[in-house]
Amino acid sequence: MNVQTPAYQAPDDQVEWLGMDPIPAAAYYDPDYFELERKAVFMRSWLVIGHVSEVAEPGSFIRRELEFAKASLLIVNGKDGVIRAFHNVCTHRGTQLVEEAGGKASSFLCPYHMWNFGYDGKLRSAPDFERFHVTKEECSLPKVAVDVCAGLIFVNLDPSPKQGLREYLGSYAEELETLPVAKATTFSEYVYEIDANWKITYDNFQENYHLRFIHPSTGAATISPDNAFGYPVSYGFNGPHRTQQIWSNPAPTITPMQRLAFGKAVGFAMADGLIGGRNDRSYFAVFPSFFILGTPTQHFSHVVYPLSATRSRGVIRIYWVGEDDSASKRFAREYALAMVRDIHSEDVNVIARGQKGLNSGALKHIHFMSMEGLCRHLYLTVNDMVEAYKTECKAAGEVA
Amino acid sequence: MSGTSSLLPAGFEALEPFVDRWAIAGTANRAQRRTDSSDAERVAFFDAAREVVGPALAQLDQKPLNQLDDKEKCLMNLMLSFAHVAMAVEVQGAAEARHAQFRQLMQITRTPADVDA
Repeated sequence: MNVQTPAYQAPDDQVEWLGMDPIPAAAYYDPDYFELERKAVFMRSWLVIGHVSEVAEPGSFIRRELEFAKASLLIVNGKDGVIRAFHNVCTHRGTQLVEEAGGKASSFLCPYHMWNFGYDGKLRSAPDFERFHVTKEECSLPKVAVDVCAGLIFVNLDPSPKQGLREYLGSYAEELETLPVAKATTFSEYVYEIDANWKITYDNFQENYHLRFIHPSTGAATISPDNAFGYPVSYGFNGPHRTQQIWSNPAPTITPMQRLAFGKAVGFAMADGLIGGRNDRSYFAVFPSFFILGTPTQHFSHVVYPLSATRSRGVIRIYWVGEDDSASKRFAREYALAMVRDIHSEDVNVIARGQKGLNSGALKHIHFMSMEGLCRHLYLTVNDMVEAYKTECKAAGEVA
Repeated sequence: MSGTSSLLPAGFEALEPFVDRWAIAGTANRAQRRTDSSDAERVAFFDAAREVVGPALAQLDQKPLNQLDDKEKCLMNLMLSFAHVAMAVEVQGAAEARHAQFRQLMQITRTPADVDA
């Protein structure tokens, strides 16, 4: 007996609550609006900055630049196994302490006057220190709030974050922990910078409306006559965060070498116990600008860091559990990288064109249809935070 | 001629003409070679390698990666380049040239294959 695949039904009703109003275009290019976003959103939210596999051993560290905050951060795994984050600045006269992008160190030595800091950020020694008339305790590296969920390292630049990371993530904390990223030991990574606002950049990856037009070959497996745009099965919302369940194409069009590589990838993921979880087809968007796809064979995350109102940096990682231990696994991973990178390369051109079109201010509004509801949710969430920040500043007698 | 290859394990002599251009260490280097190559180069390599990618990986799978000898490493790197070339020939097809300009923006910074490349 044949089992009929149920006809696809788009989840329009799940985004009705967001409304259908046009969206002010200025939010996507105006430097003044960006400045409000910077203060109201990015200086106060938990942001993905790395993965525990990058600082796996005591004494290992990474340096990360957050240009929107003019901040250089040092993330360190201490002897006690605790991951700490600091501003990467010598407390003597402000010299950038660490120049390397990452590595392992026994301590952090400022080259200027040899102030020496421990993994815990405390000043261990400084030549002729008696002449400063301050205590070493007063000279510790400035701390940055840091926490880990699902192996992902988050920081919050607010000196006193209003929520801890778990509270911030809500129910997604538990869901993220079910993903391979929580067990990942390594990753493939590619990075891009683009002349586009962070929301324009990020929004491209929140909707499938463009798939059939921008990815006619690379995205062939994501569409079918039953679901011609490859829309998701469902949407979900969790405070500022959002999710969608990716539709499974019952008869995907794939090429012979894709079949070879995917076949190997599925075999390895099954052997590693990574397939069959409740989030294999989930997409989690963690506010403001991180998302991760649950698919075990192409388990990629994407974070967009704003550089200015109209420039952003994207970091894409495919997380892997275990090192390459066979030629076939290495081949499958190389192919997965080539494929995901090809898809994202097709996106960047239209993203930049989107920015070019908006910059003149000729458009006062843009439009999101129901299947672009996640984009609308992002704007509404950001704008609520911007408005709340303005109110807060007004109440405090400050200029927002 | 059924001569043995001085560069590749026995049985893979047909790939020897591609070693110079495609047996490359490092994922970013392999991706760049894809972009720098001509349509004809990619198609010739694809046509030759697709016939042997299955047996090649099966043979290489017999050993831990860190115990591959120089000929096996060479074959491994050829197969990894093939992954990139397969995307170009099989998936992108005529769109490859236009596509390559946007791909340049996506800078590969690390992969597991780079660890012992």
